Amino acid sequence: MSKTIAIIFILTLACAMSMVAALSFGAISISFSDIISALMPGLSDHQVDPIISKIVVELRLPRILLALLSGAGLAVAGATLQLVTRNPLADPFLFGISAGASFGAVTVLTVLTSISIMWLPLGAFIGGLLAVFMVLYIAGNHTYQQIERMLLAGVACSFMFSAATSAILYQSDPQAAASILFWTLGSFSQAEWENLWAPTIVIVISVIIFFGYSKQVLAISSGDENAATLGVNVSVVRLLMLILSSLICAVIVANAGGIAFVGLLIPHIVRLTLGQRQLNNYFIIALMGATFMILIDLAARTMIPNQEVPLGIITSAIGSVFFLFILKQRRQY
Amino acid sequence: MSPIIQVNNLCWNVNGKTILDDISFTIPSGQFVGIIGTNGSGKTSLLRSLYRYAKPSSGTVLLNGKDIWQQNAIDIAKQIAVVSQLNTVTPYQVIDVVAMGLIPHKALFEGQTTHDKHLIENALTQLDLLELKNNNFETLSGGEQQRVLIARAIVQQGHNRNPSQQLLIMDEPTNHLDIHYQLDLLQRVKKLGISIVVSLHDLNIASAFCDQLLLIDHGKIIRQGTPQQVLDPELINKIYNVDVTVIEHPQHRRPHLLFSYGDNNE
Repeated sequence: MSKTIAIIFILTLACAMSMVAALSFGAISISFSDIISALMPGLSDHQVDPIISKIVVELRLPRILLALLSGAGLAVAGATLQLVTRNPLADPFLFGISAGASFGAVTVLTVLTSISIMWLPLGAFIGGLLAVFMVLYIAGNHTYQQIERMLLAGVACSFMFSAATSAILYQSDPQAAASILFWTLGSFSQAEWENLWAPTIVIVISVIIFFGYSKQVLAISSGDENAATLGVNVSVVRLLMLILSSLICAVIVANAGGIAFVGLLIPHIVRLTLGQRQLNNYFIIALMGATFMILIDLAARTMIPNQEVPLGIITSAIGSVFFLFILKQRRQY
Repeated sequence: MSPIIQVNNLCWNVNGKTILDDISFTIPSGQFVGIIGTNGSGKTSLLRSLYRYAKPSSGTVLLNGKDIWQQNAIDIAKQIAVVSQLNTVTPYQVIDVVAMGLIPHKALFEGQTTHDKHLIENALTQLDLLELKNNNFETLSGGEQQRVLIARAIVQQGHNRNPSQQLLIMDEPTNHLDIHYQLDLLQRVKKLGISIVVSLHDLNIASAFCDQLLLIDHGKIIRQGTPQQVLDPELINKIYNVDVTVIEHPQHRRPHLLFSYGDNNE
């Protein structure tokens, strides 16, 4: 128990430090004292340049908070889905969400050209949910073969929406095709304070509900029948977890595009380093996901001067190499 | 005392195939009941319909006088603990598996109290698992795993248990265990002082431990009663298609079966 608390403490520290680093580094380096003054203006007499203050408060902070929310949300959703499907490959994006969201975004960009580009996140959100509800409808609420149905329906829906997206893009102008890259590769560059409320509400509420069901999810992870004899309504809990994971994912895709691999990677890092029993310790998962995401976003901003590398490229590149490395190191878990 | 389980005309059909066929029986509270029958005779299906996992096509199962399908899964879980056949991955520590017994007693955000920790500790002590409590469940031997699941069952009965209303159901718990662990396991289960329903393959073990036996075949009850009544050589010959002689066991005075092993030793 005390070991777990120590791990949470260290991760909290790491998360806080990565936030400070992300506030400090970038196109302009900002000192720690300037960051403090910008965040808490009344606290000291130290005068901070209004432009510096604006960069910290208006540009970097919302971006970091969106990264924190997305990392935590994706990691917790991934861990929960891996437990309730007992499938180590389960990931929120496996259920067609990102394909559906891309479809929604493309539809707004090309077909519904009369409406404002402002609606693009909403289009992506609706597209993501459309894919998920198709998967849920096919999976049904019977325990029997529910997992197989979910996974296979997810894969099929992904291909279906990808086909539709490709078909529309093929017919449309190159500019739309370029814009759509944003959705497939992901970026936090659009983060603004006024757009943060939706991801905050959805992710915070979902994660709280995940905490509430963590005992039931743990029971399901060691077998449907086992969980049922402990009084768990297996199919309903599993559907609820999938719906919440999908909401998390859809809201992230709508605001930052499809950030691949985080939902798969973080639970596996926890499983490989701390053991499966920590997989439903959502504090650990969320903190690790948040820290990872903040650092990846920092890398995306600073890796190449004056240019942003799309997040999906970094998460997939770092994630896959790191993943292969630990897989080789620890053969069994 | 009222019966813990009363089954009335239970039938279960799946895709036109009859799995359970008009089964009726009663289990008085506190009894140790064995379900015997050949592979595929319907033992597991019958147990599943007792612990509200398989919904019957017709008929009722009353637990402590109330229809199990009129109660929710949590209410059933507080009265029935189940040790099903082990076939799932459980990569958790022993203490985590035992703590799962608390699930039906806990609200969504409710954590473990010191009272709960005592309950878990006592269950671990009772089954001599204290030294193994931080071991990974999957690294344990089959016999140890069964003991962990019984400890979980004790926790699942909760703090204010009434032993006369508690039932433990075990599906072939002695499979893959050596003879020492088989006997040890059933002796420990018997000591719990609650009603037990267990499916068994070993007829001599069934005879030695059970107050009542239920012989089923093709989803039907062929005979029920004491081991003396059920372990009738003629009946066992017919159902199991073996050649058997029944003698009285010198220790417990119950039937003991001697099988003919063919003529390969003659």
